Amino acid sequence: MTPPPAAAVKGGARPQVSPRRRDVEGIERVYVWDLLVRMSHWIIMISVFMLAFTGIYIGEPFLIPAGPENEQFVMATMKTVHFYVAIIFALTVASRIAWMFVGSYYARWHQFVPMSPRRRRDVFGMLKFYSLLSKEPPLNVGHNPLAGMTYLAVFGLYLTMIFTGFALYSVSAVGYMQMWEFLLPIFGGAQMARWIHHLAMWFLLGFVAHHIWSAMLVSRVEGMGLIDSLFSGYKFLPKSWRNRDE
Amino acid sequence: MDEPGSDFRRELEARGVSRREFMGFCSAMAVMFGLPKGATAMIAEALENKPKPTLVWLNFQDCAGNTESFLRASKPTAAEVILDLISIDYHEVIMAAAGHQAEENLRSVVENQKGAYIAVVEGSIPTGANGAYCTVGGRSASHIANEVCGNALATIAVGTCASFGGIPAASPNPTGALGVSDAVPGIKTLINLSACPVNAQNLTATLVYFLTYGRFPALDKLNRPLFAYGKSIHDNCERRAHYDAGQYVEQWGDEAHRDGQCLYKMGCKGPVSFQNCPNIGWNDNTSWPVACGHGCIGCAEPDFWDKMTPFYAHLPGFPGFGKGSDIDKVGFWATVGVTTAFATHTLVHLGKKLVGTGADHAPESPPERTDEGGAE
Repeated sequence: MTPPPAAAVKGGARPQVSPRRRDVEGIERVYVWDLLVRMSHWIIMISVFMLAFTGIYIGEPFLIPAGPENEQFVMATMKTVHFYVAIIFALTVASRIAWMFVGSYYARWHQFVPMSPRRRRDVFGMLKFYSLLSKEPPLNVGHNPLAGMTYLAVFGLYLTMIFTGFALYSVSAVGYMQMWEFLLPIFGGAQMARWIHHLAMWFLLGFVAHHIWSAMLVSRVEGMGLIDSLFSGYKFLPKSWRNRDE
Repeated sequence: MDEPGSDFRRELEARGVSRREFMGFCSAMAVMFGLPKGATAMIAEALENKPKPTLVWLNFQDCAGNTESFLRASKPTAAEVILDLISIDYHEVIMAAAGHQAEENLRSVVENQKGAYIAVVEGSIPTGANGAYCTVGGRSASHIANEVCGNALATIAVGTCASFGGIPAASPNPTGALGVSDAVPGIKTLINLSACPVNAQNLTATLVYFLTYGRFPALDKLNRPLFAYGKSIHDNCERRAHYDAGQYVEQWGDEAHRDGQCLYKMGCKGPVSFQNCPNIGWNDNTSWPVACGHGCIGCAEPDFWDKMTPFYAHLPGFPGFGKGSDIDKVGFWATVGVTTAFATHTLVHLGKKLVGTGADHAPESPPERTDEGGAE
């Protein structure tokens, strides 16, 4: 195996290249995730954790403060944090969805829907990999098509959380947020909106668990610097792969 | 004291209601609607001078609890008078007439005062078995409701049964019970005064508003007057400070319960229920559920018997785990399960690879051929 030329790896540590690839001619550093994609990823991650923590407290208050009520403000503080983080979360999700239509190539909607026959085939390739039927995942520059479809479902969960949350907020809202009241009958009343809000949160946390483990696994197996790329934006790809998806 | 100027005032005096009490009642009504000071005089003027419309009260599939609530409205003695002076021509529980005579009264109102009387409906309307589950004078509830409500100036559905179907319509709804809005298609003016039972003060207030302004008050999406159903129980609750502080009753009769702390963890549905109970209370503002240490059960909300149960839990159960199951417990263990499953999966994957190649990322042989990779 010929080592990849150092020149191709400017600005980064030399990545491990999976041996099974035929691209012995070397690897190169390709800008895959633009700034908004990376920022929204981490903002959503932090806000989901904060929302889940405060939300679990709001649903089942497990901290019981001592002392008179005029010296305590635990639930109210949790709710305030929940509401402010929810604003950040909703705006981030909204910008990310808009970015699916105006953003850079690998941020666009076609990364989430398997449009080409190759990407459709790769869905099954990826399923085979996950079910231990094959050792090698099909390789993609951006999201693998199965992951893309999963993220589409996750965006569905985000929107469910946002709209049930807005509907519940509208119950006591003063001002323009009252407009979300119309959603309450759609969800079957505030109590059902609450129930859906809880259910969607557990789905989301289940996804988080899967996402972290799978990211570690795929990153290790692909050897393209998947997790690093969510910080730097660059993946390390075999040469001539730059335009693979185009 | 000046001489009574109208029949109405003479009537009040005859019943021992002073002018002062009457004006007090009018002010209370104005306050309930959130109207400014001048409205009191307007209400008094209207009650004294406007012609009183006829009212018919229909009882269908329910426990007559709304009638009980209405008859026990004792505080505004004036309210009784006003409700008396609204000519109640038909009310199955309190009318003197019986049998054919009573049915004749109803028929004559519908025929002679078409489009001018107010219909009050209590109880849900069963549609199963061709309406046989509830008949009055040989006619089905649905038939009567369509005829009486269809020809009325306005219909007031009192209680959750008449508004949304209520307890008779709870799953599995054996009689096919419906609220008035569904049972009388195309009904024009309908006000839902849901709650189990209706708070008599809200009924009085709705009628007073109608008499004063000749139209019904502003309604929410479920046709309930905003003055009574515009705010959640939670937002006006007297125990709200404990909620915000994070102080909750954990168990019936514990110290927090004896201290009157928040009933949120005992399944209080105040945050998702809308009514003015915390403000006007029940039984002459003697008390209301939360004040006596029991959480709200959301009785004024559609399908409350299905959706608000279990009454002593925060949320309904998870399908397949029983009605009393806790969605958060199910969700927590599901998440733990998913985490474990994927952790195992990843480790198995990497372990297999390690065993298969001898060492991860340390090839001994030329790279094996996989898929074609490149272009489509």
